[in-house]
Amino acid sequence: MATPEKVDVAIVGAGASASVFASVLARAGKKVVMLEQGPDWQNGDLISSEIWGRRLKTVNPAILEGKDRLGYSYNAGWGSGGAATHYFAMFPRLLPSDFNMKSAYGRGLDWPFSYDDLAPYYDRVAQDIGVSGDAKAEERWRPPGQPYPMPPIRSFRHGDVWLKGFEALGIKTARATTAINSQDYKGRPACVYDGWCNAGCPIGALANPSFTYLAEARRHGAEVRPFSTVTRVLTNDKGDRVTGIEYYDREKQRQVQEASIVILAAFVSQNPRILLNSATDKHPQGLANANGLVGRYVMAHTGATIWGMFDEPDIQNYMGVLSAMHWSYDRYGKTARPGVFGSILWHCSPAIKPNDIGGIANSRNDLFGQALVDFIKRGSRQLSRLQAFGEELPNPDNRVVLAGEKDEFGFPLARINHSYDQDAIGVWQQACDEGLQIAKAAGATESWALRAAPPTIHMVGGTAMGRSAADSVANGYGQTHEIPNLWLAGVTLFPTEGAVNPTYTMYAASLRGAEHLAANWNAIAG
Amino acid sequence: MAEIQRRALMQGAALAALSFTIDGAEVWLSPSQAQAQGAPINVLKPDEVETLEAVGDTLLPGARKAGIANFVDNQLGVAPGDCLLMARIASVRPPFVNFYRAALGAIERSCLSLHGKRFAELAPAAQYDFVDRMRQNKIEGWQGPPGPFVYFLLRHDAVDVAFGTVEGIESLGVPYMPHISPEKRW
Repeated sequence: MATPEKVDVAIVGAGASASVFASVLARAGKKVVMLEQGPDWQNGDLISSEIWGRRLKTVNPAILEGKDRLGYSYNAGWGSGGAATHYFAMFPRLLPSDFNMKSAYGRGLDWPFSYDDLAPYYDRVAQDIGVSGDAKAEERWRPPGQPYPMPPIRSFRHGDVWLKGFEALGIKTARATTAINSQDYKGRPACVYDGWCNAGCPIGALANPSFTYLAEARRHGAEVRPFSTVTRVLTNDKGDRVTGIEYYDREKQRQVQEASIVILAAFVSQNPRILLNSATDKHPQGLANANGLVGRYVMAHTGATIWGMFDEPDIQNYMGVLSAMHWSYDRYGKTARPGVFGSILWHCSPAIKPNDIGGIANSRNDLFGQALVDFIKRGSRQLSRLQAFGEELPNPDNRVVLAGEKDEFGFPLARINHSYDQDAIGVWQQACDEGLQIAKAAGATESWALRAAPPTIHMVGGTAMGRSAADSVANGYGQTHEIPNLWLAGVTLFPTEGAVNPTYTMYAASLRGAEHLAANWNAIAG
Repeated sequence: MAEIQRRALMQGAALAALSFTIDGAEVWLSPSQAQAQGAPINVLKPDEVETLEAVGDTLLPGARKAGIANFVDNQLGVAPGDCLLMARIASVRPPFVNFYRAALGAIERSCLSLHGKRFAELAPAAQYDFVDRMRQNKIEGWQGPPGPFVYFLLRHDAVDVAFGTVEGIESLGVPYMPHISPEKRW
């Protein structure tokens, strides 16, 4: 088979961050190819079902180890749009205190830019893809910015039931910000609140990439090449420039795609894995890994999960969205809890279906038999969920390494070790305690916290960005310190995670990086 | 666009159907229809089917009738990328049949060791007790995937077929509200 024509940009992955880079660079006239391991989903593939929605998630998990193993397959995506095809589109921002934790507290790592540097990009992303929220209310906790283009999504009774509890504990709330249309926006319709967000939203009310940045990229000529498994980034003889990528196509034939710029946007596991698998005599530890930091600082969020049963005939918990109706940063302070360090973000209440991880049945995993049937019947109109994401600090021992086991093409798989430290556990436990107090004050007739083990929600890190080649893999735009035309994109760059869903920040940081690359193309691409 | 109009536009037929071959013809059936019509089992062995149905009904009464064995067997016969089982998103590595074979085998071995009978032959109270101990990882001599994880995944399979379909959700008296339902795809 002939080697494909050289392109300006080869992007590994076709998820959210890849789509931002593809959109910006394709609009700048660059020839862009996106190599996606999974299928190129069409809107008609997005079937409304918890069961069918599982197709949007990866089938090729890494090897997971550690005390608190990552929920890799649940969080990762498979196919165009990546994890943002099945995400919930909850859009909290990081706060200024998240960007300078090492400087301010001597904990974690500093970001190579500040909240103020990123704020204009948060505002622009909101306009680009459509965000619904109340910026003024949110500014109680963060610096002011532009208003969101749409008012908040509507609330339902199963969200409002918690407000009395928050108020009783003196916790101020605001309507949650979401990348879900509360009204028609840019030709995409408003949400109908059927609660199928995670199965993929085929009407585009939820801003998944195939309706936003990926659609824009395609309109400007970017190509998505599905079922392409990238195995290595290739370098020149001197090892100071990348020349392209090696991948296996849908017929499992080896291909080489030459490119002036290579961008790895393949999420927390695969970005490090590809860098490590690309070792050469000039880069014996893998690309961009002279300092041994590739793969380190993988993080997840704990989730203090509180369920409440409310003695009302129908709180419409089957309606709404999967993200949240109300949230609060009131407990976000890093040192707000005695004896432990880290932020939390309270939020409630997702639409609930009977099955799957977030479903009614899984809220009481101890029940089975007729008791489970009875519980599902009762919960189908009376159950609601409250949750606090909890921060985990970056730990170099939580890392991706190459495993002894290999994939079908003979390349080592990723092995991910992950365990929470005592701060993360302590934050989670205290949040569970507070959540039960909120539930009681809210009037829940029964309430319980899932305390068996802290869940691992979201995944970030693995190729941290920073100011110096001594302590990070890439700079604040995603450009690796070692090889100027090798870039990284996505949540894999995060040095810390705060206690918020990562996607909004990932979009903003990607837009900042992509525009920097486009503006400095000649100097970088050579 | 008005809500009702848009939903009507996007909504297809109502039931999550799977492809089964009966008498040489491909037909689209829900797991419960497949079970009722005796659709052939292709991957699991007869004793594995018997165990899965019995465990499924213990975990969630009605799972057998809802077609837990047909659903699992059907999904074990497709490519991992097309698989809809909870095992897929619980980070089980494909081929998923390895997990089911090991899990069902562990249940059988333990039952024979503890009771001298297969799980399906136990009285309902003994079945309940066995599952309860498996859930808590309290079965002595258990050899297989961790008991609580087996409980977790088989319980999800049971809930999927009983309450995860349009039929199942609507049996709870709540609306399903699909944009796109599965039949057109399969």
